[in-house]
Amino acid sequence: MDSRADIWPCILAMVPVFILGIAIVGWGHDVAYVMHGCLIAAVVGWGLVWLIGRLTDPPRSIPFAYNDEISKWGIMATFVWGVIGFTVGDILAWQLAIPELNGDTYFSNFGRIRPVHTTAVIFGFAGNALIATSLYVVQRTSRARLAAEHVPWVVLVGYNLFCVLAITGYPFGITQSKEYAEPEWYADLILLVAWVGYLWLYLATLARRAEPHIYVSNWYYLSFIIVIAMLHTVNNLAVPISISEPKSYPLFAGVQDAMTQWWYGHNAVGFLLTAGFLGIMYYFMPKSVGRPIFSYRLSILGFWGITFLYLWAGSHHLHYTALPDWVQYLGMSMSIILLVPSWGSVLNGILTLNGAWDKVRTDPAVRFMMVAVLFYGLTTFEGSFMAIRPVNTLSHYTDWTVGHVHAGALGWVAFMTFGAMYKMVPWIWRRGSTYSLRLEAWHFWLALSGSLIYVGAMWNSGITQSLMWQTYDETGAFVFAFIDTVDAMRPYYFARAIGGLLFLIGGCIGAFNIYKTVNGPALVQPVPPRNGPLSLPAE
Amino acid sequence: MISHDMVLVFSKTWGALYLLTVFLIALGWTYWPSRKPMYDAASKSPLGDEGIQS
Repeated sequence: MDSRADIWPCILAMVPVFILGIAIVGWGHDVAYVMHGCLIAAVVGWGLVWLIGRLTDPPRSIPFAYNDEISKWGIMATFVWGVIGFTVGDILAWQLAIPELNGDTYFSNFGRIRPVHTTAVIFGFAGNALIATSLYVVQRTSRARLAAEHVPWVVLVGYNLFCVLAITGYPFGITQSKEYAEPEWYADLILLVAWVGYLWLYLATLARRAEPHIYVSNWYYLSFIIVIAMLHTVNNLAVPISISEPKSYPLFAGVQDAMTQWWYGHNAVGFLLTAGFLGIMYYFMPKSVGRPIFSYRLSILGFWGITFLYLWAGSHHLHYTALPDWVQYLGMSMSIILLVPSWGSVLNGILTLNGAWDKVRTDPAVRFMMVAVLFYGLTTFEGSFMAIRPVNTLSHYTDWTVGHVHAGALGWVAFMTFGAMYKMVPWIWRRGSTYSLRLEAWHFWLALSGSLIYVGAMWNSGITQSLMWQTYDETGAFVFAFIDTVDAMRPYYFARAIGGLLFLIGGCIGAFNIYKTVNGPALVQPVPPRNGPLSLPAE
Repeated sequence: MISHDMVLVFSKTWGALYLLTVFLIALGWTYWPSRKPMYDAASKSPLGDEGIQS
């Protein structure tokens, strides 16, 4: 295979993006928009120069080894975005407890900074973790090197360019106001290019596999890649008003637009934050404890269950709205049935630890993953419960929703990421173990106490809000003014900010530990067997 | 004219049947006895030596 085989397709995909960047610089009016044009043109232009250089060089020999460079950069991006995202989130939490801390400027407005937090943690932190782990796992389980030499860089750089454009645009009001799909059309187009590359790379690598069967983690990763491609394209169908403005208008209007948005929103949760992370679980948990998945067949059945059911559940975000009742009930029913494959995956994860429970005590990375699975079980039960319409009258528009989301995002997504990273970093960089197991354990306990304080505070505040909003006197009038419910939130908001701070400190310790591991001494050779063979196939 | 009730009846009958069929196909496909050795081998695949082959 010629190492230069994929350069022309990369160039052909990047030239239009480069022209887009130049056009924005030339025609744009707003300063932030023009700066985005400069950034696009600079990054893509630099990439084109690099590719053209590679094209005119003599072909390089492709090493007969796994390509882990891309995962290394993905891991670093994961931790950088993680620390940024947790920090912004906790700053917002303190501002909600002490409103004076908000500078009261147009760019520090809560509505503009919150998407910085959500984009940094969902796309920056979780998205990069998925790219880094998926490209690691697909090579190992296929026993094959990535199918291309340059496409992986276009994917990773393009994806992170999208994240940077998104986050730097929000403070200046560049948003299409769709939750979790805020970036405007030009950033969306860049993500589309990167994502098509990712899908092709994944499929082409699987096609090169030396194993007859495609390992189940790849099924989950692939469903995540395909569904995100589909959701991103449909939900961002929009018409820009002009090349000189970042603003666009969606193709759909009214309740159709709302339904499309929550079909997107809920499946971003279902496939990016759930299916992708189940892919991580089904590779890193068995590998870490040296035991096969408790039931491989259950993992496959769970795959079809999650894939078929999740796509119907989005309408539970629109209970008691203008959406037709039958669509609401459909979403509610599917959300309840979804509990079956979700808990199937939970059982499968927990029972995989059977025979290796000592590792939960001795290995903080395994402890991270074990607790992640428990939080996944908790959150999916809570989610199915909240999707029931009468329950939703209590939970909707309250902090309970915020608590639910963070049980999943902190407890499941971040814990699984940290657990997998503490394993993958020493494997990729060929270190004996992480720099410090004690720091890993500190990270674990800080993250766990932070998450529990956060989620507990939001359950209390959410239920309090809802009950106060729904308290009427004998004439049917409200007993509490809205501001009374805001005032009642004070202790909970302080608790949340403290919980978030603990989680942030844990995350910083984790980033430091990873940094020291990467910078530490490498193993000269694989650890020699001490008493008998190092690894025995588990029974 | 499609009414709310018509859609409801359709989804409660044909929708349920569709999901049941998909479930049974997935169940049969996954748990078919002759497929067991393949899944057993696959479940041990990440545990051994993961040397590159292609």
